[in-house]
Amino acid sequence: MGALVIGGVSWIGFGRDTSSDKVEELTIYSGRSEEFIAPFFARWEKESGIKLNIRYGDSAELAAQILEEGENSPADLFLSQDAGALGALSVAGLLSKLPDSAGDQIQSQYIGDNRTWVGVTGRARVFAYRPGAVAKLPTSVAELTSAQFKGRFGIAPSNSSFQAFVTALINEKGEKFAEKWLAGMKANDAKIYLKNSEIVEAIDKGEIDLGLVNHYYVWEVSEALGREINAEISFFSPGDIGNLINVSGVGILGSSKKESAAIELINFLTAKPSQIAFVEDTHEYSLLSGVKAPEGLPKLEDIGAPEVDLGDLEKVQRTQDLLTKVGLL
Amino acid sequence: MVKSGSYGLRALVAGVLITISQPLLYLIIRAGEKPAGDILALLTRSKTVEVLGATVLLLSAVVAINVLLGTALAAGLHYIEIPYPRILLVMTVLPLAIPSYVFTYTWKALVPSLDGIWAATFILVLTTMPYMILAVTISFQRIDSGLIEVSRSLGLTKPAVFFRVILPQVRRSISAGALLSGLYVLSDFGAVSLLNVETLTVSIQNLYKSSYDRSAASVIGLLLFLAAAIFVSMESFLKGREFESRGAEGFQQQIRRVKNLPLSVATTFMLATYAFLAVVIPFYVLISRFLQNPAAVAISDLTTAAISTITVAAMGAAIAFLLSLPLAFLMTQGASTFGSISEKIILMAHALPGVVVGLALVSFGSRLGVLYQSIFLLAFAYAVLFLAKSVASTSSALSLVSPQLKEVAATLGKSKSRVTMEVVFPIALPNLALGVLLVFLTAMKELPATLMLRPTGMDTLATEVWSFAAISRFNEAAPYALLLVLLAAIPTFILTIPRSAKNEASVKAKVN
Amino acid sequence: MTSLSISHLNVNYGSRSVISDLSFDLREGEIASLLGPSGCGKTTLLRAIAGLIQPTSGTIRFGSQLVGVSSVVLPPHKRGTGYVPQQGALFPHLTVAKNIAFGLDRSTHTKSEISKITDEMISLIGMKGFEDRLPSQLSGGQQTRVALARALAIKPKLVLLDEPFSALDAVLRVELRTEVVGLLRELGSTAILVTHDREEALVSSDRVILIRDGKVAQNGTPEEVYESPISPEIAASTGDVLILPAEKLSTGQTLYPLSLDGSGKTGSETGYVVIRPEEIRVSVNASLGIEGSLTHIDYYGHDAMLTVTLPETGALISARVAGPSEFTVGQKVYLQHLGPVRYFSRQ
Repeated sequence: MGALVIGGVSWIGFGRDTSSDKVEELTIYSGRSEEFIAPFFARWEKESGIKLNIRYGDSAELAAQILEEGENSPADLFLSQDAGALGALSVAGLLSKLPDSAGDQIQSQYIGDNRTWVGVTGRARVFAYRPGAVAKLPTSVAELTSAQFKGRFGIAPSNSSFQAFVTALINEKGEKFAEKWLAGMKANDAKIYLKNSEIVEAIDKGEIDLGLVNHYYVWEVSEALGREINAEISFFSPGDIGNLINVSGVGILGSSKKESAAIELINFLTAKPSQIAFVEDTHEYSLLSGVKAPEGLPKLEDIGAPEVDLGDLEKVQRTQDLLTKVGLL
Repeated sequence: MVKSGSYGLRALVAGVLITISQPLLYLIIRAGEKPAGDILALLTRSKTVEVLGATVLLLSAVVAINVLLGTALAAGLHYIEIPYPRILLVMTVLPLAIPSYVFTYTWKALVPSLDGIWAATFILVLTTMPYMILAVTISFQRIDSGLIEVSRSLGLTKPAVFFRVILPQVRRSISAGALLSGLYVLSDFGAVSLLNVETLTVSIQNLYKSSYDRSAASVIGLLLFLAAAIFVSMESFLKGREFESRGAEGFQQQIRRVKNLPLSVATTFMLATYAFLAVVIPFYVLISRFLQNPAAVAISDLTTAAISTITVAAMGAAIAFLLSLPLAFLMTQGASTFGSISEKIILMAHALPGVVVGLALVSFGSRLGVLYQSIFLLAFAYAVLFLAKSVASTSSALSLVSPQLKEVAATLGKSKSRVTMEVVFPIALPNLALGVLLVFLTAMKELPATLMLRPTGMDTLATEVWSFAAISRFNEAAPYALLLVLLAAIPTFILTIPRSAKNEASVKAKVN
Repeated sequence: MTSLSISHLNVNYGSRSVISDLSFDLREGEIASLLGPSGCGKTTLLRAIAGLIQPTSGTIRFGSQLVGVSSVVLPPHKRGTGYVPQQGALFPHLTVAKNIAFGLDRSTHTKSEISKITDEMISLIGMKGFEDRLPSQLSGGQQTRVALARALAIKPKLVLLDEPFSALDAVLRVELRTEVVGLLRELGSTAILVTHDREEALVSSDRVILIRDGKVAQNGTPEEVYESPISPEIAASTGDVLILPAEKLSTGQTLYPLSLDGSGKTGSETGYVVIRPEEIRVSVNASLGIEGSLTHIDYYGHDAMLTVTLPETGALISARVAGPSEFTVGQKVYLQHLGPVRYFSRQ
């Protein structure tokens, strides 16, 4: 709280602090919303004594801003909601290679190419459904084009998580397959929503029976509404592309002069206490092997996620074009 | 005949043009990073054509409705016997205080299925109609009542007087209102993106976010600029020949309103409906959301955001005002090719959306070290975005000062600059202030450039609304939105205070 | 006050010539009227003298100082002219006192000096007590007075008045004009009064300068200009005229409908004779003139204008007689021309 007030008043000042020796402040561009991540930052500020200038925004927009700022970016760290944005910065050569000591406990599949970024939390793609409404739960995401779901399921094509999933689909199975599947979804009267939370709400209300969302949305909607809702989540069979696990992650900008302080923050976020807090506060998965999964959910390694190169998820343009082509966007 | 004094002015105007052309320059440079073949492919792919089509359709629909409905509403407000005309006027202009994204959120809360181009037309008409009504109403107030009386005595019926005498005189302000609404539609992002309509501006944003391909985004940006240029030239064609319409002179008779029951009822109904749709509904939704959890946001947070908003918007309005002065002064010296070209350039730049100006200033500003992400740069962004409005109102205010007064002052020994300080500014001040208020109020609502350029850690009311709405926390978004609208309503209200038809700038001899 | 000298002045707007080759001089303390129809260039001339317009060529001198020439131009704020435009043009945001003091430079006058001058001016125009009024609270006549005071406060070299009384009603116009001209004479001002009102021109000025089509048509004292116009058009612009066709005989005699010795002879040259209506004596006594029939009476109160038709030619003669008319329409009357025969050949 205090950090926010200080941060709010300091806008009177100008730009970044270029003092070298004793790091007094760090600048972070955060694609994770203030509501969720601010307490973590506040805790670290207290522990380290380093002030954090946090710029909140949409991950993709912040990444694009960093790309535009280039070497002149005032940001020291970039915390992204998804891997795609980090991949874009990595490809552009703006992220520095992290030492092995940074986020060393994170499993390797959740670490960016060339160790330019490390994952912080896991976000699994699942399907949500209304218990009793679906006779036979689908085992693959491909089943959604079949007649039994006609007009009874929802997707959010404009949502970045769905697009990340489709990107992974294209990467794994090729564009033709993806196009066929998407066209099939459209022909099967997929109901379109703007947000994952809307899909879950619609399931609860009975408008649809099933929908493709991220794993934590049922919990989130239930918290927001303040009651139990009539929806549950499940995973597709192990290995199915529908079980994609995306990550939120963090990287250090190559132009930053405060690498060691930044690494400390990364280690704070990837350390057990923070990881446990992530699970409890946001219901997301921890990427540390020793930490419990969110309540009621299988362990991360038990999900049966497909093997996907998370760094490749930055090719969202192609995904959007395809979605537009089939008429879902 | 170019007077020697105006060379200095022209140089200043050129300086201003160069300053605000930076976003355009950015677009050209970025677009140029793409090979020509790719640019062509981008421009001719079916998606681009669709987007262009949607933009043109939306633009035409909104402008057409504004011109017809807006003029009718303004005429009704001014000439037809209606109950509480002052209140109705305030209600029809009040929507200026509501940003388009707030309109969209509140309407979607009531009608969740609101979506698509006709929904966007509806929302954008609600948003931009006040520009039309304000422009035309002010024009009505300035018409010489003597002309109307003479026409009546010549036997013209009231409708004939309206269509043949009054309307031609307000033609210029109708086209000005159409221009402002149209340029707003071109640059709007909030409403159209929430309603799933991809216009050129949305396309730019999408390209920038999804492919991180700023060259492609810039190509579309240039396409948008071209569309704006065409629109601006069309408007000037529609405006018709410029004739000297003399302002009201002599004793102004209070216009007797038309007493015609069916007409009065129809007018009142239309006005009330518009006020209901554009003011009552959004307020109702905002207030009810707020009341669901009044303590959702701490007062201190609201206050901080409000102070930031007011400060940076005021700075932006001040900078815009200063930048508008050279061209406004030049325009008072009479029509010139240089002047009208400069005016057109500034108008076309007005179509550049916040995302383009933001990006351009990120690109340029990040090289400026300390100045980057400072409130000065953000205020400058506002000035660039809204300069057209400032130029229009400043030049209008200055032109109201009778040239005779300036001449007399000169003969009394005052140099040009003293004349400006001692005569022009004091007399034009009320109108100049209104122009500054208009930019101030518009800047308060700005979003995309603010997100990119604000100092890290600073939030405005607009950015808070957006951040909370993005994570569906409408109970937290509502108080910020409500405060934003209430604060913006103050300058909006001031703008509706009637200026007397008696031109303040020259004194009328009372009947002895 | 200074003298004024205008020499070969030309003012063009684009290709249109508004003032062409205009010259005249004004002595110090002289009041001149610029008289002419709308659009003749008189206001333009005034503005050129004030420095508000650049002449295309020619010179303007105040005394010995070269003030305006197309290449050397003294800007208006350095010329020291007192300009009183139509409708006063008072600064609406300043009080009467501040309006009057507007031209008094705070760098050359102390506050008390300014105050003293302002008070003097206010007394001069007889508006004590109005110091704090705003222009919108003044009547037309009061505004004109304040405008004059404002112009005089700076002790101008020249006072330029552009139809200052035109917006006022007839009675006020005469009152104010008398007052203003009186004031100007009292102060020994060199002044130029632009007017289209011929009475105003004749009564107010030492010199009447008639402007037509951007040129000086005639420049003389009121008497000269009225009694000895250099053309019928000029005569018409300074007063009522009666223009009769005439013939000039080789002997030098002029034949015209009212000439005494007219019958029978024909002349070698044709032209016009210009007569002032008051120069015609009308009587019922047959021995006193040429017979005519009274066809119309225009009664003005202080005088009357009689229209008399001559039997042979059908010519209509306008004659002015004083006071209540002893004449009736239809009466036979006898006309005698008692003024100079102003002959102009047909041109």
